[in-house]
Amino acid sequence: MKKLFTIFTMILILSTSNAYAGKQTIYADVNGLVCDFCAQALTKVFSKKDQVENIDVNLDTKIITINFKEDQILSHEVIEQLITDAGYNVVKIRHSIDTNE
Amino acid sequence: MRNIIIFLTWIIINIQMANARPVSYPEGWTSMLMNNGDRNALHLHYSPTAKYSIGYKFEYWREDEYSINAIQVNNLLKRWNAKEWQANLYLKSGLGFAHSDKGNFDNEIGIAGFTGIGADWENRRFFTSYENRYTKAGEFDKFYMQSARIGIAPYIGDYGDLHTWLILDAEHKPTAADKFTITPTVRLFKGSHMVETGISDQGDFLFNWVARY
Repeated sequence: MKKLFTIFTMILILSTSNAYAGKQTIYADVNGLVCDFCAQALTKVFSKKDQVENIDVNLDTKIITINFKEDQILSHEVIEQLITDAGYNVVKIRHSIDTNE
Repeated sequence: MRNIIIFLTWIIINIQMANARPVSYPEGWTSMLMNNGDRNALHLHYSPTAKYSIGYKFEYWREDEYSINAIQVNNLLKRWNAKEWQANLYLKSGLGFAHSDKGNFDNEIGIAGFTGIGADWENRRFFTSYENRYTKAGEFDKFYMQSARIGIAPYIGDYGDLHTWLILDAEHKPTAADKFTITPTVRLFKGSHMVETGISDQGDFLFNWVARY
């Protein structure tokens, strides 16, 4: 019984750690996105960050999607600062983890 | 003509402008080439932050036959970001030298300076803009001018698409022989490049090109 419990616990721990591995994505709702120059500004700013794999700017929804490299991330504070420094306002930042990679 | 003046006045009073932004994103470079019936101009600037840019400005005023070479600083005084629109207020100033080729001033050089404000409002369908400027070019010329624009996008493209704008450009220069100039303009905008072309009511050609890096 003790062995079974140990194995179950290990599986659970491994499964949990796998869930947080992989590539992560952060979504930011941004005000002021009205043209391609705005989208380019954010693309350029985030592309300079080593942690960022790519970024998508949706001018319809005003949401930017930041895809990070394997096991890389930027904090919400840093993301908000980068967007603000680029001249735009952050409304909300949401976090999700893609485990399919 | 009276209707045109009323329309222009309405634009100038009610509309706040925007077009090629005088300040880019942090560490962004911009080159602007602007040509119309009065002048040919080149403006290259670098934006250390999204709050200001510094760069080189060249202008050649054809009728009075003088050129200006100046250092220009553009300050973003205020930006309003909303979900569906953005508005900006800028201060644009330059200081340098003017060189004349005309008449009594032939080959003379003088101090040149200019300053003015620019404002714009835009969403993805419409934009309006206004800017003014006072210029002194040595002893050759001094003048005040203002311009306003209103534009509409016939379709709304996604990021990366070719964007098209139909623009009415109105310029007012009280010291000029033709005080008002109206230029219907088409703007094409894709990626880092923007091109504008039009022909004014006086038959002059307008061509602007802007690129960002």
